[in-house]
Amino acid sequence: MARMGVFICWCGSNIAETVDCESVAQYASTLPGVVVGRSYKYMCSDPGQRLITDAIKEHNLSGVVVASCSPRMHEPTFRQAVATVGMNPYMLEMANIREHCSWVHTNRAEATEKAKDLVRVLVEKVKRNVPLADIEVPVTQRAMVIGAGIAGIQAALDVAAAGFEVALVERQPSIGGYMSMLDETFPTLDCSQCILTPRMVEIMQSKNITLHSFSEVEQVEGYVGNFEVSIRKKPRSVDMEKCTGCGDCWNNCMARNKIIAPSPVLPGEHTPPEVAEKVDAILATYTDPSGMVIGALQDVQREFNYLHPDALVYLSEKSEIPLARLYSVASFYNAFSLEPRGDNIIRTCLGTACHLRGGGRIADAISRELGIGDGETTKDMKFTLERVNCLGACALAPVVTVNNKYYGKMTIGKMMDVLEERAGQDAGQPQEQPQEATAV
Amino acid sequence: MAVATQLRTPEDLANLREQAATRRESKRMAIAICCGTGCRAQGSMDLVEEFRSRLEAEGLSDVEVRATGCHGFCERGPLVVIYPKEIFYCGVQDTDVADIVDKSIKGDELVESLLFRDPVSKNRFHLEHEVPFYAKQQRIVFRNNGKIDPVVISDYIAVDGYVALAKALTQMTPEAVIDEVEKSGLRGRGGGGFPTGRKWRICHGQPGDQKYIICNGDEGDPGAFMDRSIMEGDPHSVLEGMTIGAYAIGASRAYMYVRAEYPLAVANLEIALEQSRALGLLGEDIFGSGFSFDVEIVRGAGAFVCGEETGLISSIQGDIGSPRQRPPYPAESGLWDKPTNINNVETWANIPVIIDRGADWFASVGTEKSKGTKVFSLVGKVQNTGLVEVPMGTTLREIVYDIGGGILKKRKFKAVQTGGPSGGCIPEAMLDLPVDFEKLRDVGAMMGSGGLIVMDERTCMVDVAKYFLAFLVDESCGKCTPCREGLFQMHAILSRITEGRGREGDIELLQRLAAYVGESSLCQLGGTAPNPVLSTIRYFRDEYEAHIDHKRCPAGVCTSLVNFGIDSEACKGCGLCLKDCPTEAISGEKKAPHRIDETVCVQCGVCYEACPFDAITVE
Ligand SMILES: Cc1cc2nc3c(=O)[nH]c(=O)nc-3n(C[C@H](O)[C@H](O)[C@H](O)COP(=O)(O)O)c2cc1C
Ligand code: SF4
Ligand code: SF4
Ligand code: FES
Repeated sequence: MARMGVFICWCGSNIAETVDCESVAQYASTLPGVVVGRSYKYMCSDPGQRLITDAIKEHNLSGVVVASCSPRMHEPTFRQAVATVGMNPYMLEMANIREHCSWVHTNRAEATEKAKDLVRVLVEKVKRNVPLADIEVPVTQRAMVIGAGIAGIQAALDVAAAGFEVALVERQPSIGGYMSMLDETFPTLDCSQCILTPRMVEIMQSKNITLHSFSEVEQVEGYVGNFEVSIRKKPRSVDMEKCTGCGDCWNNCMARNKIIAPSPVLPGEHTPPEVAEKVDAILATYTDPSGMVIGALQDVQREFNYLHPDALVYLSEKSEIPLARLYSVASFYNAFSLEPRGDNIIRTCLGTACHLRGGGRIADAISRELGIGDGETTKDMKFTLERVNCLGACALAPVVTVNNKYYGKMTIGKMMDVLEERAGQDAGQPQEQPQEATAV
Repeated sequence: MAVATQLRTPEDLANLREQAATRRESKRMAIAICCGTGCRAQGSMDLVEEFRSRLEAEGLSDVEVRATGCHGFCERGPLVVIYPKEIFYCGVQDTDVADIVDKSIKGDELVESLLFRDPVSKNRFHLEHEVPFYAKQQRIVFRNNGKIDPVVISDYIAVDGYVALAKALTQMTPEAVIDEVEKSGLRGRGGGGFPTGRKWRICHGQPGDQKYIICNGDEGDPGAFMDRSIMEGDPHSVLEGMTIGAYAIGASRAYMYVRAEYPLAVANLEIALEQSRALGLLGEDIFGSGFSFDVEIVRGAGAFVCGEETGLISSIQGDIGSPRQRPPYPAESGLWDKPTNINNVETWANIPVIIDRGADWFASVGTEKSKGTKVFSLVGKVQNTGLVEVPMGTTLREIVYDIGGGILKKRKFKAVQTGGPSGGCIPEAMLDLPVDFEKLRDVGAMMGSGGLIVMDERTCMVDVAKYFLAFLVDESCGKCTPCREGLFQMHAILSRITEGRGREGDIELLQRLAAYVGESSLCQLGGTAPNPVLSTIRYFRDEYEAHIDHKRCPAGVCTSLVNFGIDSEACKGCGLCLKDCPTEAISGEKKAPHRIDETVCVQCGVCYEACPFDAITVE
């Protein structure tokens, strides 16, 4: 049967101001297995420590919980203290009621309850603790750095300069990483090569560093101080002694330069016929393919309610505009959506005028109501929310459009009514109409 | 009205004008209903229907119903003006139509309840030009908006449309046109303020027989919508200006780049193009002068940076809208590497007036270096929001107080923001600043495209700076590192300040980054991006310090730093806050003081805005 002691520290007023320490001590005394519960102003002081050691002797305690500051601070103090009277130090644990409780709360009653919870949990833990013995294991005094970008290079150099051996592993044939692709650094616009290249040279010169380039870490085993790492060196079939790095073999390599082409696809082969038909109709309205990209994408979006991937592939094949260019344009402009959109498209204005008059609150309220963020669509495909920068009716701020119908001087209440009305409609029917075209 | 024959000479035009004007004058009265986007949102298209059927039912064939472009005073829409008397009705609903027809069309009475009532003086006004919102304006660019139906070309011709084009093509050499524009002192309304005549002369002087004209209708500045209203409400004035410009520099083709969000502008421009072609005002050999010209519309796709001229050109060519290095300027090498002249919508709309009434007349309006008028979109926390056109040199105070009617709910004025994301905030001490290109630049702001956003004591200037940076981070094309990464970092710093994690030295860090970003960005998006941050630091440093040093947001905007409560003395128990609160955090009986449950409140601030008695407290 466990015989536990619980000691609550006030930490001056640090804990006592927010936590009723005495009532926590009394509560602790009532827990099963606890034979003594005390509180004291400074548990870490000599008299405080003596309070604990005396109690161990007097009550023949089997375990101790100290509720005070973080274990980072005083766990060694208290463990040493209990060891002096013959208790195994690992039978002591600390409940952190300062950083985790008094410092982060203001409500005294609630904080006191939380302190009690923390103490109870720790009591249960110590009951299950077993005595442990400290052992020593040898540590291998070598380091490994994975990745030889600028950060890895600098780390390897620092460790090497401190006198330790370093194994530096880099996946690519050359070290330097992304920084070797940059011209200047932000914000000082320093020359990035001037920072990087001297360090690359230093890596080669350092006697403490072994570089494994074109190599990958396969497996890491062991624990702190005693890791076992397997590195796979990729084959290079080159005599490193004789190689001058001219690069001719690289450029002429038959295996590497083999062209792997996807099996030829004929336009429209994989495109559903109804998609192909619609895209053909769109293409028929353009004569000059070079300047048509944006217009054609707008037409595709109007036809499919979003940029349908099949339609883009087909458009690219038929017009001979590279698919990459279509995607580059589509992702640059805000008006394009690569995701299917809902039946109702809500645009909330966050332009300056609307921002000042609470447009953001309306957008937030819609997000809360429908559970979707900017650019997202509800699961039932009824609503898509888009936050836009000015709908051009700023005098009526805040402005929202639903399927291009303008709502001015919007309030959260009015918005909710509109949502409710639209939610009642049948699904599967895109509602967005091109805005009424003429003034008559 | 179908017009069969093409106009071959200025006399043909004069005849058509005569017919159109006679037709207009033959009507006893005209009911002009604003059908700009703002009034449409409030139901003006239903009004048009209702008036038409009502007049027909009453057999009043001598009254014309005219669906016009934006009248500017969108806030009070839908607006109806009855000519020739100019009776001005606002907030008209279709249920009012019968009353209006009975009293003001058949009879000679006014419908009192629809007259504009000044919220400050409580006076009622009968006529459009008496309403304080219009009284101080001078309408040059907006000369026709509100008077003509934008999809009826004869309406435009009836008010002297295309007279300037006829004059330029038949009586003036291209050089004479450029001289006239240069003498007028007109400067670009797209933001930079570059002298238009000089720009034309450079392009005119370039070798090569293929040149292009572009009209920049991208209007990306959030909070500004004047270009939209011009394109929607008076498309022919822009087309006429472009045709004159094309004649002057020797271009035969033009592109009109219209913002994605403006489908009505595209529709009205398309109609205008068709009509102009039918009359021979576009096409081959216009007015028998040997000059040929046509215009194509290009729809934008929602990217702010495409308003920048080189980005716009790249977008017309079907690419992503990344700006490129200048020089070469578009005037030397622009669209498809040909000399290209690009001007803003409002700039083009000024051209016909300058040619028609002369450079000297135009130059008599405005200040020494900034001539003519400027249209502003007056929005934000001001009573009367809408589009206002004033002579350059009008003071901010006149715009905000005399025209705008002062701050909403009688709150205290804090600042006006001009120039959009490239501009700055101007504090109260500078309200008497006469607005022109130089004066605005001197105080760290910018003319920009004409957004004029009024802020009151409940606007947090740190939040405003953060807002603009978030916009710019989003819209930066990403081509240059300083703009892409620098703005991202500046936004991160501002975010932490508004969340109460600001550090000592953050203000200086922002200023330093701002200098790097401003100087090392390729285009003016990055180049001017620091302005909103620098100008708010310059004039409202104390607000930054309150956030950083005291973790307080004095305006009660930054949600991490405020707690809302209810002053039980001031609370009258009206329940308005309770109704609007999205999280049901407010409780209380009617007529008894309410309270806020802090554990449920998400600090959205809705109650703070909703309470009519200022009983919501912020700490
Ligand atoms: C980031 C950025 C955005 C711009 N946006 C617009 C715009 O929306 N509309 C516009 O007319 N000019 C805009 N401009 C200015 C144009 O580059 C160009 O100077 C202008 O269209 C020239 O016409 P103007 O001389 O008539 O002013 C922008 C400039 C920059 C740098
Ligand atoms: S400054 Fe910004 S927007 Fe302009 S080109 Fe550079 S990255 Fe693009
Ligand atoms: S700030 Fe918003 S959530 Fe909090 S009480 Fe007011 S309305 Fe409710
Ligand atoms: S700022 Fe919202 S419509 Fe312009």
